[in-house]
Amino acid sequence: MTPEELKISILQLAIQGKLVEQRPEEGTGEELYQQIHAENQRLIKAGTIKKDKPLPVITDDEKTFDIPEWWKWCRLGELGTLVRGITFPGTEKSREPLKGCIRCATTGSVQSSYNETADVFVPAKYIKNTMQWLENEDIMLSTANSKELVGKSCLWFGNDKMTFGGFLTVARFPDLLCRKYLYYAIQYLHKCGIFAKASTQTTNIANINNDILSKMLISLPPLAEQKRIVAKIEELLPCFDRYGQAWRKLEDFNKRFPTDIQKSILQMAIQGKLVEQRPEEGTGEELYRRIQAEKQRLIKAGTIKKEKLLPEITEDEKSFDIPESWKWVRLGDLLSVGGGKRLPIGSNLTTTQTKHIYIRVTDMQRNSVDMTDLHYITDDIYNRIRNYIITKNDLYIVIVGSTIGKVGSIPEQLNGMNLTENAARLTPFLVDKDYLLYTLKTEFLQRQFIDKTHQVGQPKLALMRLKTASVPIPPLAEQKRIVAKLEEILPQCEKLI
Amino acid sequence: MSLTNFVKRIRDIMRNDAGINGDAQRIEQIAWMLFLKVYGAKEQDWDVDEDNYQSIIPEECRWCNWAVDDKSGKAMTGEKLLNFVNNTLFPTLKNLYVTPETPIKKSIVRTTFEDANNYMKDGVLLRQIINVIDELDFGDYEESHAFGDIYESILRELQSAGSAGEFYTPRAVTEFMAKMIQPKIGERMADFACGTGGFIISWLKELATQIKSTDAQIEYDNSVYGIEKKQFPYMLCITNMLLHGLDVPKIFHDNSLLRDVLDYTEDDQFDVILMNPPYGGSEKSDVKNHFPADLASSETADLFMSVIMYRLKKNGRVAVILPDGFLFGTDNAKVSIKKKLLSDFNLHTVVRMPSSVFSPYTSITTNILFFDRAKPTTETWFYRLDIPEGYKHFSKTKPMKLEHFAPVIEWWNNRQEIKVEGFDKSRKYTVDQLSKDLGYNLDQCGYPHEEEEILDPLDLIQRYEEKRASLNDEIDRVLADIIDILGGAKQ
Repeated sequence: MTPEELKISILQLAIQGKLVEQRPEEGTGEELYQQIHAENQRLIKAGTIKKDKPLPVITDDEKTFDIPEWWKWCRLGELGTLVRGITFPGTEKSREPLKGCIRCATTGSVQSSYNETADVFVPAKYIKNTMQWLENEDIMLSTANSKELVGKSCLWFGNDKMTFGGFLTVARFPDLLCRKYLYYAIQYLHKCGIFAKASTQTTNIANINNDILSKMLISLPPLAEQKRIVAKIEELLPCFDRYGQAWRKLEDFNKRFPTDIQKSILQMAIQGKLVEQRPEEGTGEELYRRIQAEKQRLIKAGTIKKEKLLPEITEDEKSFDIPESWKWVRLGDLLSVGGGKRLPIGSNLTTTQTKHIYIRVTDMQRNSVDMTDLHYITDDIYNRIRNYIITKNDLYIVIVGSTIGKVGSIPEQLNGMNLTENAARLTPFLVDKDYLLYTLKTEFLQRQFIDKTHQVGQPKLALMRLKTASVPIPPLAEQKRIVAKLEEILPQCEKLI
Repeated sequence: MSLTNFVKRIRDIMRNDAGINGDAQRIEQIAWMLFLKVYGAKEQDWDVDEDNYQSIIPEECRWCNWAVDDKSGKAMTGEKLLNFVNNTLFPTLKNLYVTPETPIKKSIVRTTFEDANNYMKDGVLLRQIINVIDELDFGDYEESHAFGDIYESILRELQSAGSAGEFYTPRAVTEFMAKMIQPKIGERMADFACGTGGFIISWLKELATQIKSTDAQIEYDNSVYGIEKKQFPYMLCITNMLLHGLDVPKIFHDNSLLRDVLDYTEDDQFDVILMNPPYGGSEKSDVKNHFPADLASSETADLFMSVIMYRLKKNGRVAVILPDGFLFGTDNAKVSIKKKLLSDFNLHTVVRMPSSVFSPYTSITTNILFFDRAKPTTETWFYRLDIPEGYKHFSKTKPMKLEHFAPVIEWWNNRQEIKVEGFDKSRKYTVDQLSKDLGYNLDQCGYPHEEEEILDPLDLIQRYEEKRASLNDEIDRVLADIIDILGGAKQ
């Protein structure tokens, strides 16, 4: 149950007459209604108020729920006066109280309680009708707003001379009624969507005019019972707050938990705690030596360039304990890093299919490449950037933009395609590609890529920072076992979402 | 000799024995041999000090007689050794004749061996292990307390945290707590989940400085009491006590949670309690029957708090390590326990410790609660101990040291509120603030960037469940209040 649902259910109890018990000595809703009607007649005779068109009789269909016998169904327009706000040119309003100006409430002033910071000031001449001066305990409704917000209301308290704008309507009730009760009843009409349904739609704005508003049904108890209902609701208000706080905190935890548990499992994996070590599989040290030897071979064969030696890993960089058979190395020891290439100046991508796909950062989704909206390049563009491709044996990592650190592998069909300059191409040596992918996704590695203090302007992941990132490695067979285990567990975590 | 080397040598030898399946068995294997070696060393002292000292162990089973290799080529090995151990040594020691009158220093041989096992199947390898163990020199005081280190380094190899959530407290922490509790001669202290005896040893170290007479010495010897549920740490604890000159160690192999707390009398109470209870441990659910209903919890740490509250003498003092879950938890049991704590006891200080103190076993954050039974709580001071300069976290190679507690010790007698970068580091709360405003959520002066720590999956799940339970209980309480206010008027 959301906090909002809780509040609505209490309001519903209130206006259905189930919140407090009956006290016969307090009279009935019918008696109260007659009193109000009599008073209205008196005022009409005295010329104080206009005689309004009579409102249609309430049909049984309209009565959406049962009310107690001693209550009465009424129309809002029968109980009080509805006043539409003043109109004025937009240029005439100001935030400051200029000479001759009056404070005026706006749409923004109507929040869960009156919010004076949204008020503006307008010249007094725009007040055409004495009823447009706010009176204490007026209920301000936002009657021109989005569908969700139309009908939102708040109580106004005060004695100052103040008015309200044309997107608001004031519902003003006589002392014969408990205005706070009507406020809660009107709040209910908004929260359960009755106002939204009854509103008329023009472009983006939903409207409730006085006609619609006056026809709204209100269930009416005797005055004393109204007051008791209000007192009960106000006793419950602190509970709503507490409930809301606890509920929102719980929502937060529940939202975070699935991602947190995935991060936690990945971390367990690179700490060597996910699967047991098996001495017969060798050590990380042995693997490292084989990789170095392989690199030497490739350098001799001219396949890769000789690179500057990376610095030794320091004790400080060994941020956690790893099993004895593992070894701390630098990423640059395990893979070679290549770049993508931007398009030559003046050339463009096309959505017309060609032989040459150009993989962009937006295509990089869910640790792979989304093939639903691929873009292509023509043959001659391809010829100019043909060296900057990526293969199915590689991993990509985004190095520029808001998704720095995003990693993934390349599907078969995109083998040999061009890569954007906003990503780098990682070619592993003798390391399991999937294991490497999981490693790059861990918080431990991601934090090394995303240095929080250096984010100015367009952040960029320097290739050097990539190469010098520290990472522990296990022997190859263990890497594969870790991958198998992760593929077993992580989908379970997905179920939590 | 270097203790890490010791573990490695043992492990390398045992790896080749088919009978040892996994770390748990390897540890048990070492434990009984270590005990016999140490006990043997002790007996040599007793032999000198007492006339007519008689060992409870039959001659042929004493370490000095069957284990020591005098290099003359006559030491037992291979099949002969294996046969001796399995068919003579163990049956004999498991069945030693013991009565209630047997002095503790003799009866412990039997209690130690009751659940012990020999797993090794290769007599030659067994001989090699025995020789490595025999090299240890228990006359060295430092080496004997470093037993916690052996266990720690061995535990580290256990992938699982053990079903009783064992945590062995780093020496820096036990020493800090023993220091701040200020032991006095004549007082009796207890640790109801003593593990290898770390707190007891730290207490004795502090107390030793006050021994100035033989009476004091007797009080010193009688000042400690411990209970340990698990066989292996119990064994190591006994060994530890013997090494520290406690010939009659009052350490019992028992489960502290199995006695009705309401049955405890003054005789069961202590002047000082120092402990680090197990958390997230698994106990059978009927353990809760020994506790009053409102204090019954499935969390072992909560149950131990109740044991402590019922076994503390009037005007007694406590320092206990509890996880964050106890501080922030507001499920019904925890609220009741904390209510009792604040109303019947004086919780004067809470020291928050950084998350890697118990690394590498676990990354959960822990806290030391100091309280006494002199009066109800009026105010509680919180102090957050930050990771020292130059450390990103504690680890095996960079463990926590007593000197890292220097800032707290300095602050202790001159308490000031401190704020760092807008976050509270040290602050005082009145009991009303804690109970009414904060609803018994004692998670104050916490670490600013805690959400960024990545916990182990088990710890993460535990914390999630605790927070979820707390929030669910809070929601239930609000709903109960609402129903109350509605007065059952709903039709």
